[in-house]
Amino acid sequence: MINIENLSVRFENREVLQSITLEIPKGTWSCLVGPNGAGKTTLLRTMLGMQSYSGSIKYDGREIAKNKSLNIAFVPQRPSIPAAMSVAEYVMLGRAKLDGWGKESAHSRNIVHEMLEATQLLGMQGQLVNTLSGGEMQRVLIARALVQEPEFMLLDEPTSALDLHHQIAVLNKVEEIKATGVTIISTMHDITLGAMYAERIIIMQSGRVLLDGESQLVIHSPELRSAFDDRISVHMLENGRPVIIAAKRDNGLVDGVI
Amino acid sequence: MWRWQITASAAAALLIASLLAVSFGPVNLSFGSIIRTLLGLPNGLENQDRTLLLELRLPRVVLGALVGAALATSGAVYQSVFRNPLADPYLLGAASGAGLGATIAITNGGGDLHALLPIFAFLGGVLAVAATFLVAGKLFADPSTLLLAGIAVGSFATAFQTYLQQRNSAALRPVYSWILGQLTVASWDVVRWAGFYIFIALFVLIRVSKVLDALMLSDEEAYSLGVSPQKIRLIAVAAATLATATAVSASGLIGFVGIVVPHLVRGLTKRATNRSLLSIAFVGAAFLVIADLGARTLLAPAELPIGVITAFVGAPFFLFVLRARNRGSK
Repeated sequence: MINIENLSVRFENREVLQSITLEIPKGTWSCLVGPNGAGKTTLLRTMLGMQSYSGSIKYDGREIAKNKSLNIAFVPQRPSIPAAMSVAEYVMLGRAKLDGWGKESAHSRNIVHEMLEATQLLGMQGQLVNTLSGGEMQRVLIARALVQEPEFMLLDEPTSALDLHHQIAVLNKVEEIKATGVTIISTMHDITLGAMYAERIIIMQSGRVLLDGESQLVIHSPELRSAFDDRISVHMLENGRPVIIAAKRDNGLVDGVI
Repeated sequence: MWRWQITASAAAALLIASLLAVSFGPVNLSFGSIIRTLLGLPNGLENQDRTLLLELRLPRVVLGALVGAALATSGAVYQSVFRNPLADPYLLGAASGAGLGATIAITNGGGDLHALLPIFAFLGGVLAVAATFLVAGKLFADPSTLLLAGIAVGSFATAFQTYLQQRNSAALRPVYSWILGQLTVASWDVVRWAGFYIFIALFVLIRVSKVLDALMLSDEEAYSLGVSPQKIRLIAVAAATLATATAVSASGLIGFVGIVVPHLVRGLTKRATNRSLLSIAFVGAAFLVIADLGARTLLAPAELPIGVITAFVGAPFFLFVLRARNRGSK
């Protein structure tokens, strides 16, 4: 269980996160949704222990910032991609905290092999990471996160740079990871996709949690529309899945989706 | 397995380069007699030839190797830290700071301070890098801010140096020749103190080289892999600066070694440069020993500044890397 209590983060004079309180059960997928600048990425960075904060973030009762042995995997929106490093070497970095930097245990090599296979990367393990396509790189990042054997996994816009086919592939993979008991926290611009995969949606705005609850409830709540200034409309597909799109204004123009 | 073969080949290249460098000059010494002298076997060199080898050529070759290893390794580390393949060891103001320190030593007090030139250059280089970190302030966590602060501090030091030179036109020539770099001052004394600092710096850099992998990722990823990037960046930059400032104060400004050698080794090994620092150190040492041999012999009896030779090879190579990079991004 992750318990975030009264969490606030300040940058200079600006309060970027304000009194956030969340309770995230193990093995669930929570999706942070909100406009740019809402504080979603800052919340992820704070959970990684990069940001000084007031309040508390606890995992199983222990403050995250003080628990150095905790394994938190992070899948960045824009990874910094090193030159001259192969896919296998890059994925092996995920074991660095467990094995020590520059060391590779036989066990780690097995796990890397296993995860490369699970992410269909085995064939390109010798390829340099700076030559991969966006979709391939995303799979490599997920493979690296998997070999960390993390307690929980943070994903910052995991699908933003991908086409629909790769978006679905990546999200399905994350769903499989969740099924193994790993807690997932992701940010996503696309509420429709978020609601399709995450059982919980947390809507953020200006550093605050505006709405937090089970995906289906949040999607249908009147607060959601007001959070997006009534510029969205929710439609139901035949299979019961919700689709959220930009609302048409009276003049027939479409407002931008937040 | 073959990683060790590359390191061993680089070490062998350094040995061969050193043997060539101590052998050739206005007076050529035979390989056999050199080896016998160094190993203390009978029929070694005697009298003047012995002095020439042990007191003139050998310290110069050892100093060249130390400086080459320091510059090449620091260059490779800077490239990892700044995620920039064109970063060089002089990036954070070490060169301009050392230049200013040397100019102060040359323009003030004539002969007295001149003897202290290496210390002034060393302090100038270290202070300039410290100033860069201070200017970058809290934001030093961000590599690009640090880089810009380095450019600002470097420009300031260079402007101040130019001002001092203008006011003391007699200093123009010695400052100019120092800036171009030379190993003519090599003596066992210089080798001892330069070797001391350079070995400390290289030891630290090779120790942290594996963790430098994390600096090639974003800071968030580094944290998630259990590394505080700011801490590693500070240790790496401090050690690389110690090596660079020592090299500069012992031999002046020798350009391009820090860029050419890491790229050359990366081309050969196809590995991230921080993973082959030891090979880079050996190749850097061999490169500078050979460059100095060229500086001594190409226009003999006149001596070319070694910086001319390294830049002569380095500048075209630099352009080649740029072109290859542009092609790669298209």
